[in-house]
Amino acid sequence: MYTCAGCSCLCDDIEIVTEKDDVKTVYNACRRGAGIFLNYRLSRTEPKVDGKIADFEQAIEKAQDIIQNSENLAIYGLDTTTLEVQELAIKLAEKKEAYIDDNSTFCLGDFVEMILKGELPSTTLEEVKDNAYVIAYWGSDAYHSLSRHMSRYTYYPRGGKRQRGYEEDRFLVVIDVRKTHTAKLAKKNARFLQIRDDLELIEAFNQALDGKAPSIFVNDIPRILKEMEKADFNVIFGGLGLKYGLKGKYEAFKNLIARLNERTGVYFIPAGCHPNMRGFNELMFDKTGEINRYSFNEQRSSDEFAFYRLLENDAIDTAVIIGTDPLNSLPFEYAKKLAKINTIVIDPRETFTGRFARVVLPSAIAGVETGGTMVRSDGVRVELKPLFEKEINDEAILSRLLEVV
Amino acid sequence: MPITPMEIYKLLPKTNCKKCGEQTCMAFAFKVVNRDRQIEECTPLFEEEKYAKQKEQLLEMLEPLKEASETGLIVDESKCTGCANCIVVCPVHAAEDAYGSGSGFGPKIDDPIYRLENGVLKIINVQRCRRYGKNRILCVACRENCPSDAISFLEG
Ligand code: SF4
Ligand code: SF4
Ligand code: SF4
Ligand code: SF4
Repeated sequence: MYTCAGCSCLCDDIEIVTEKDDVKTVYNACRRGAGIFLNYRLSRTEPKVDGKIADFEQAIEKAQDIIQNSENLAIYGLDTTTLEVQELAIKLAEKKEAYIDDNSTFCLGDFVEMILKGELPSTTLEEVKDNAYVIAYWGSDAYHSLSRHMSRYTYYPRGGKRQRGYEEDRFLVVIDVRKTHTAKLAKKNARFLQIRDDLELIEAFNQALDGKAPSIFVNDIPRILKEMEKADFNVIFGGLGLKYGLKGKYEAFKNLIARLNERTGVYFIPAGCHPNMRGFNELMFDKTGEINRYSFNEQRSSDEFAFYRLLENDAIDTAVIIGTDPLNSLPFEYAKKLAKINTIVIDPRETFTGRFARVVLPSAIAGVETGGTMVRSDGVRVELKPLFEKEINDEAILSRLLEVV
Repeated sequence: MPITPMEIYKLLPKTNCKKCGEQTCMAFAFKVVNRDRQIEECTPLFEEEKYAKQKEQLLEMLEPLKEASETGLIVDESKCTGCANCIVVCPVHAAEDAYGSGSGFGPKIDDPIYRLENGVLKIINVQRCRRYGKNRILCVACRENCPSDAISFLEG
């Protein structure tokens, strides 16, 4: 059995048939997960210096050189690699008094932070499977972003106190601005709330909790509350839609969860998609009390230290980019900035960012060619086991880079 | 779209000539959907020029029947994302593979009805499906929980 590091579900029941160093058949993984194993040999990168193919030793020495001479270094990415590597990266940032940031700035980091600070009650996916009655997806199209989430952990599987199947033993709520594929599943014993504004919905829940008629979903909201009170274990999965819908007004959301918990048990788990984003947030939190966009020089976290802001403000001379492709997702003006500074890309695959980089260091794919630990969206640690072992991986590369600081 | 006996009936000669061995064209239509009879067994349809157009339409409509499994089940792999909803909801899996596919994991029995193979749904053992054989039940659990309509049945 292997673990798939395709998303933050980290499914650990994957079976694989290999033939020499080829993957023939992948069982139990979703389409995205299977693709990682089946296509692991495609679009691999070679070591490069200044756009030209070099040998690995040359490339790593160049990278060491750049890091040694850097005055304002930033490390970015990290959500697709293991805890062991994240730890080395944090160490590198600390020693260089550098900036460090990951995708959680755009993604669900804020929710992870609230959980780590104890501001939102959370639980594990195993507990959800065994106990959860009302299961709400709020601003998350799990069918697409976390394909096996519902079938493996939440609505569909039978477990513990929930043996009678989804039709009798679960109540599904899907909250979104449009009828997503996940919303299509809200049929019997379920509600789909097509909303315009998340804050308006929170207000409506509060009205119902005050014993008044809610301004929207007059029948649905009281019904959902009633269903929640039937069980003492209910869970809300919050996705990016919720994050952006709240427009930073997290207090309103936290208050609602607290109020619900005066009546019944309601837990919260982020429904995000980067496999080990939560791992990075947890390591940073343990070390610094902050989860991301951190400056070891100033020993604080700030919006200004978000990777794209550092680029925007010309605050860095060097960027070490690990397992992510920011140029692919950032607007062109940042691409121009990134092309001006020294960039070291550590990635198993050819990336767009790699084309502009001073140095490209090819690495190994976590869960396929290298093992380690990752943290699932609910905070549970999961082991990865390599299918084929590759000597040069993120861990080996970062250890080499650490030698010079 | 499921194929219904009515749709087939509409395109048959509707003469109830019994040449196919059935009492009525409607009875024949039912059996075609269930694949107990082949459309070619309606000889007038194929022999008489005036039915040529209807024949074309029928043959086209029945094309998917050839690909369907013995229960009339068709999986469109191009639409499947491998979410496994269908596998986990299946009542047969819940009963016979309670700690495997009934609990959200990959199957722990050797011959599940469905399994994810290379990221898409494959039919492994259709004989276990409740729609199979003489005492069939028109179960639709897997189809109903596929958000992208990758699963269809020829009837209903
Ligand atoms: S749901 Fe995520 S972890 Fe599970 S198989 Fe799919 S990509 Fe991999
Ligand atoms: S042979 Fe064709 S036309 Fe005659 S009864 Fe059968 S279906 Fe109807
Ligand atoms: S029709 Fe019912 S019994 Fe057959 S595979 Fe689908 S869910 Fe299972
Ligand atoms: S429910 Fe649909 S998309 Fe999901 S695995 Fe089954 S056929 Fe594929």
